[in-house]
Amino acid sequence: MNNNQKETKINPEKGKALSSSKGIREEILNIFKKALADDIFDAVMIPAKVPNTDAYSWILLQDESLFEMADPLPPVMAVQGGRALSSFSKNGELDLKIAALMRPCEIRAAVELFKLHQINLNHITLISIDCPGATPLTDYMNDPKKLAETYKKISEKWEVSESLRPACQNCHRFSLIDGTAADLHIGLLGKNDKVTLIPISSKGNEILEKLGYEPTDSLEEWKSNREKLLKEKIKNREKFIKEWQEKINKTDGFFNELNKCINCHNCMNACPICYCQQCYFDSQNITFKPETYLQKSKEKGALRFPLNTMLFHIGRMSHMVLSCVSCGACEDACPVSIPVGRLFSMVGDQTQKEFDYIPGMNREEPLPLQDFKEEEFCEVETPNECEEKVTEEAK
Amino acid sequence: MNNNMPNIIGFLCNWCSYTGADLAGTSRMKIPPSLKTIRVMCSGRIDPLFVLKSFLKGADGVMMMGCHPGDCHYQKGNYNARRRYVMMNKIFETLGLEKDRIGLWWVSASEANRFAKVTNEYTEKVKKLGSNPTKKEIFL
Amino acid sequence: MAKAIRIKNNVEEGLFEFLKSLLEKEKIKGVFTLKKMDEEGAASYSLITSVDEFKNAVPLFPYMPVNAGKELSNFTLLGKTEEPIAAVLRPCELRAFVELAKRAQGDFENILTVSLSCGGVLDLNTMGEKNQEDLISKYWDSVKKAEVSPNTRETCQFCENFLPLNADITVATVGNKDLDKEFTLFFNTPNAEEFAKEASGSSVSAEIESNEINEFKKKREELKEKYFKETETDENGLKSLINIFAPCLGCHGCSHVCPICYCTLCEFDSKTHEYPTPSLSSDLQKKGGLKVPSGNLLFHLGRMTHMAVSCVSCGMCSDVCPVNIPVATVFSKVGASLQKEFDYFPGKDVEEPAPQGTYKEDEFTKIGEQ
Repeated sequence: MNNNQKETKINPEKGKALSSSKGIREEILNIFKKALADDIFDAVMIPAKVPNTDAYSWILLQDESLFEMADPLPPVMAVQGGRALSSFSKNGELDLKIAALMRPCEIRAAVELFKLHQINLNHITLISIDCPGATPLTDYMNDPKKLAETYKKISEKWEVSESLRPACQNCHRFSLIDGTAADLHIGLLGKNDKVTLIPISSKGNEILEKLGYEPTDSLEEWKSNREKLLKEKIKNREKFIKEWQEKINKTDGFFNELNKCINCHNCMNACPICYCQQCYFDSQNITFKPETYLQKSKEKGALRFPLNTMLFHIGRMSHMVLSCVSCGACEDACPVSIPVGRLFSMVGDQTQKEFDYIPGMNREEPLPLQDFKEEEFCEVETPNECEEKVTEEAK
Repeated sequence: MNNNMPNIIGFLCNWCSYTGADLAGTSRMKIPPSLKTIRVMCSGRIDPLFVLKSFLKGADGVMMMGCHPGDCHYQKGNYNARRRYVMMNKIFETLGLEKDRIGLWWVSASEANRFAKVTNEYTEKVKKLGSNPTKKEIFL
Repeated sequence: MAKAIRIKNNVEEGLFEFLKSLLEKEKIKGVFTLKKMDEEGAASYSLITSVDEFKNAVPLFPYMPVNAGKELSNFTLLGKTEEPIAAVLRPCELRAFVELAKRAQGDFENILTVSLSCGGVLDLNTMGEKNQEDLISKYWDSVKKAEVSPNTRETCQFCENFLPLNADITVATVGNKDLDKEFTLFFNTPNAEEFAKEASGSSVSAEIESNEINEFKKKREELKEKYFKETETDENGLKSLINIFAPCLGCHGCSHVCPICYCTLCEFDSKTHEYPTPSLSSDLQKKGGLKVPSGNLLFHLGRMTHMAVSCVSCGMCSDVCPVNIPVATVFSKVGASLQKEFDYFPGKDVEEPAPQGTYKEDEFTKIGEQ
């Protein structure tokens, strides 16, 4: 995964370390309470537990009293943060200063949506956080108390446990310090109970200064802990990619994974990147007369209903996989437990590599299909001549 | 509710109830400032979602008003409105929502008195219900 | 009285053979029914036109991956089928197709409807899982004994409309202890009677109603009261509603799989319901906080006003919900109230217009005159 030149090196050398005597959650919430009180932000988008239930939901919080229901890292990722952020910020200009605290994959999804004009980032500060993963939504909803407990244990130890979602087990972008995605990053991998605020953009730097948290503390310990975990996660991811490539690399390998699919489109609706109001695959463009369906049925002897199940998946893939941030929201939403998140993540990995593109990592980087160079992909056009060219350039 | 004055949204049909309301106004009848009127051409134009959204946004009461059955300017609109109101009333009742916060009244163009009476009575009823709890609910 | 044929074969095989013979003899050109997708137990509906492909058909497989009524609507949306086909549907799927046909979203012509006295379907998340075979075996035991199977959908457990309305052919299952060896096919309509000749069995004098059926109905009615009460909406109203729908992701999966929700672009997916960004400051000022994405209860209550009166309680909505919200139970409860109020039974009569599309001048006369 280190063959990607676009990953800019970690720039920040210093941060602000806050020791949390009250615990990490309290420390993080205090930062936001201060920011609201000091008028640095007008509102904060943060996960919250709905009172009297086990459900988690995003809230845009302005009143300090509401912080008691907030939780920066809930045991589940219910609604993908990018989708939630887009829901209120695309129809006009925000006249409020909003801070959005989200997991790295949600931040990257937000940046992709920004490139797709579905989020207006004016007046929004993106704050990412070191993410220990989340538990599968279905498992959590079936036994919330047990899963909350399990999550507490594994997240405190940063364990890559099998109780986590498959997407999280295979994720190596859990600490978003590279690139220009977030403005500010909350590091949790430092010494126990230390919360380290790390500026990524100049806006982030400004915010730290306004808070009175000048970044003067060393990041050495945090970086070294991060490196250790990163190594383990990269190994995991490489293993996962190889395993799934082998699984799929047989006749109908991909389609067989979708045998149970009921074409409910939950995966698409949960996906932050799939923002179309009317998906092509839900439209009437692919509706035909009964005679046509009977004819199609006679071609192979049978015609599967609901129609176009395979077309939907491969079509959706061709539409969004270059922006897939491997968040796994799709797999969480699937009612028949198809490993759709893993499938799309693996294909996403391979296709993004072709374009040397990491979705959501850099705000200025255009989407691969909205950009081109006059001289590229000669291996597709003129494979024989290309080899010579490549060796020329290498010299 | 400011100073105990409820916030009531009224959807009034142009030909009957809105005209009736106008007549009540020009006749200087006492109408409480609770009612905020929205003119629609026919009570049949009232989408149940107008009523639902008003309720969920915190309106203390929602009034649907139209022509008496048989007198609709467009012949049938108020019959449809009546069915829609019955449906919403039943939904509210089944789900334990305060069904008195929504209501339907037939008020004709000449019934200025009736308009004043109905509005005053409903305002008192809503005052007794108190402020709509949806005003405070974040997780709607 | 319907013509009844007793077939000496186990019910699954027997129905399979009957449909296969109709296809072989070209009495029908296709069969619309469940078909196995793999060896692990996944099944999907399929329009099967070749006898060879029919070998993987599993007509009575106790799962509902989609509401078949919705799929038949997709099949006949642009017109009726010119060639006769047989469609195997559960009673609620058949009623859903009736509701769709009356809204010009489908056409019954040339479709031979085959239904059954229905013991319900198992939850979708067990399809293709390791314990599936065991669950299916326990399911059939319950059906034979006319007991409510605990592994079926909640809506199935409290369904009292498990005898199909207006099906051409009905397979009697519930309460028949000898389903492994024999079963009865009822040919209910004149259209169906010519197909009776193709059934290899003996004509008997029988009725589908029985004591077991009546007892079964009672058990289900009791469960209905129990499940409806558990929603707690009667006592706690708004609070209870907020809590029930608190985990909602806004994926709208419920409406997408609902057979009655046929709109290509649902109003709640359209720009009409997008949040107007400029309203944010005033909304935040009023409440101090705002759930995002917004419009949760408006969606559910709004959807109720659109379709609850036609709800056939198939339970697809609850089954696809990623966060286990008992959508089907809440909507069924509201649906039942509305259906009583308008004296309307969804799926009973394709000629009877849906309540929203009609009115009587002399109904609800007290409304509005207070």
